[in-house]
Amino acid sequence: MSILAFSTTNVLVQGITGRAARHHTRNMLDYGTRIVAGVRPGAGGEVVEGVPVYDSVEEACRHHKVDASVLFVPAARVKDAAIEAIQNGIKLLVIHAEHVPLHDVMILLEEARSSGVTVIGPNTPGIISPPERTKLGFMPSSYFQPGTLGVASRSGTLTYELVFRLSRAGIGQSTVIGVGGDRIVGLRFGEAVRLFNEDPETTAILLIGEIGGTMEEEVAELLAEWHLQKPVFAFLAGYTAPQGRRVGHSGALVERSKGRVEDKLKVLAEAGVAVGRTLTEVVELVRASSTYGTRPHV
Amino acid sequence: MIYLVRTMDLKFLIAEQPGSVMQLFEHEAKEILAREGVLVPRSCYVSTAEQALESTTRIGPPVVLKAQTLVKGRGKAGLVRLAYCPSEAARVFEELVGRSHEGPSVSGVLIEEKIPLVGEIFLSITVDCPNASPLLLVGLQGGVEVETILLDRPEFVKKVHFSPAKGLKEAQIFEVLDFVANAMPEFFGVRTRKQLEKLIRVSEKIFKTYDCELLEINPLGIADDLSLVVIDALMVIDDDAEFRHPDLVRPRGQSQQDFQREQEFKKKGWTFIPMGGEIGILSSGAGITMAILDLIHLYGGKPANFLDTAQMDRRGIYEAFQIFHTNTNTKVLLVNIFAGLNRCDDLALGIVDYLRDFQPPFPIVVRMIGNKDEEGRRILREHGLEPLVALEEAVLKAIEKLRG
Repeated sequence: MSILAFSTTNVLVQGITGRAARHHTRNMLDYGTRIVAGVRPGAGGEVVEGVPVYDSVEEACRHHKVDASVLFVPAARVKDAAIEAIQNGIKLLVIHAEHVPLHDVMILLEEARSSGVTVIGPNTPGIISPPERTKLGFMPSSYFQPGTLGVASRSGTLTYELVFRLSRAGIGQSTVIGVGGDRIVGLRFGEAVRLFNEDPETTAILLIGEIGGTMEEEVAELLAEWHLQKPVFAFLAGYTAPQGRRVGHSGALVERSKGRVEDKLKVLAEAGVAVGRTLTEVVELVRASSTYGTRPHV
Repeated sequence: MIYLVRTMDLKFLIAEQPGSVMQLFEHEAKEILAREGVLVPRSCYVSTAEQALESTTRIGPPVVLKAQTLVKGRGKAGLVRLAYCPSEAARVFEELVGRSHEGPSVSGVLIEEKIPLVGEIFLSITVDCPNASPLLLVGLQGGVEVETILLDRPEFVKKVHFSPAKGLKEAQIFEVLDFVANAMPEFFGVRTRKQLEKLIRVSEKIFKTYDCELLEINPLGIADDLSLVVIDALMVIDDDAEFRHPDLVRPRGQSQQDFQREQEFKKKGWTFIPMGGEIGILSSGAGITMAILDLIHLYGGKPANFLDTAQMDRRGIYEAFQIFHTNTNTKVLLVNIFAGLNRCDDLALGIVDYLRDFQPPFPIVVRMIGNKDEEGRRILREHGLEPLVALEEAVLKAIEKLRG
């Protein structure tokens, strides 16, 4: 098993006719994702990469059972597109756009919360479950290997770099989630860890964090309460990042003494998380724990 | 479990790095508040000594002169001054503007009537990011940093999370009003209470319409006739919502040149931050670039910059190289390419284009893996560059080149 994204998950792509969306729809299909429909107002009746396109989410949902939606819509239209998906009963959203206005994110997350919808992102590469051959997003799938390590990360590129090294070291992944690099995101580390803990086929958890925000502190507090049986590892970036600036990710911002990596490292370590100081070290830590295992393709 | 409060610190930040977020000047924020019918002191924004003289005459001394700068703690820094006659105001103006040379730039001065106060409180609406919710804070003590009060006297502050879509509920507003009125009954009779209610509603409206990350009225003065007057106002607008407020986008506390460069980078989705060391970094992705900074430090080097480009192509990498000609003290350039969605051969061609058109003023170390990396490496090798595969090796190589 994996979490959230499965081989049986029926996926809708919102904004499917855009150039990037077409490209990644093709990639997702090639990987094995079950994409059942696309939406683009005004493009109803078209077919993109073999996927039927509808004018609205409502219409798509009338013709197909949809479990999840991947949003390839521009930042300014994310709020309305997400709310449309939520109101049509879709329970998992992946929002790729970066630079979605804060107020829009707050509003769409409020709507999601009250409808019991899980939102991944904004500003995320998505979610991939290698044992299920399913990805909702645009991570380069060739670096991912099926296995039992659950990964949640705030950074796309850093995830690729680490997962590449993990896979090469024989450490496959159950599910890898990019939680998103923005200041406000839907699914946070705490919830990801809870889901990984409940998944019987995830045997260890890796968190990839960075400066800024409070997500690492939150998960440390939860871990101190929960006493998980599964080992939790972490890698943090930004020990030496310039302070007082948003370092690329808008969530990566140290404000006065808050959000510093040193403090995150300390609270995570106190909660029993094994933190690797370098990319090499964290891969070694995971490998040495021998609680993971690479499985053959399903 | 509540994780508070990120935005309180913004003032500090902004002071450090003008332009890194969209903070309005005090006089701009006050104009917006005044337009909504909130009471602000009679004032005039001036940019010459003559104007200072003339406005002081018109407003009537004594007046307060407040340097318009994004720096926090203007009072302590001597950037808020009193003047008792027009000629003194002109002199103080010159001094305030003259201060630009030693610190943050002072673009102009706000001259205000001096209002005698009997008390001060504060009102702030901010975004509580971990809880994805707007948060109203009203405090019984004004003129002190909100964060300090939250730490020292949390019982002085009423905190109310509210719905970003539906706004404050009636009951929530009354809860806040009762809190203030019960604590300060001598000031908050029916009329003043009504004024505070209006101010809360107006602030909420501005917070929403202007996509604020922070709207802080601190201090909110209680005048001797018990009316509420905005003494200082701070407004920070979410720069991701800039497109909804194009009229507010302009340089503040930074040169026209810096502003334009920033806008240009923003359009491209690039973040460039000079860091003072010698190893330039060209890499895409914030997370991996931060990890590279950490590695450079770990191995005893010093990065010249942080650069995060959006996903690059042949043209993009060609342009990115040129940043390093003018913008840093780069002695060696470390290029990290992990082609997940793009292709190494395409990027290698961009590097070749660059080498054809320019004489790079520094040695270049390339780390290259990902899609089509064999082809990419072959192309670079044909042009005299030997790309590395391991990131650590590339960082070490860059440091080695630096040391000659």
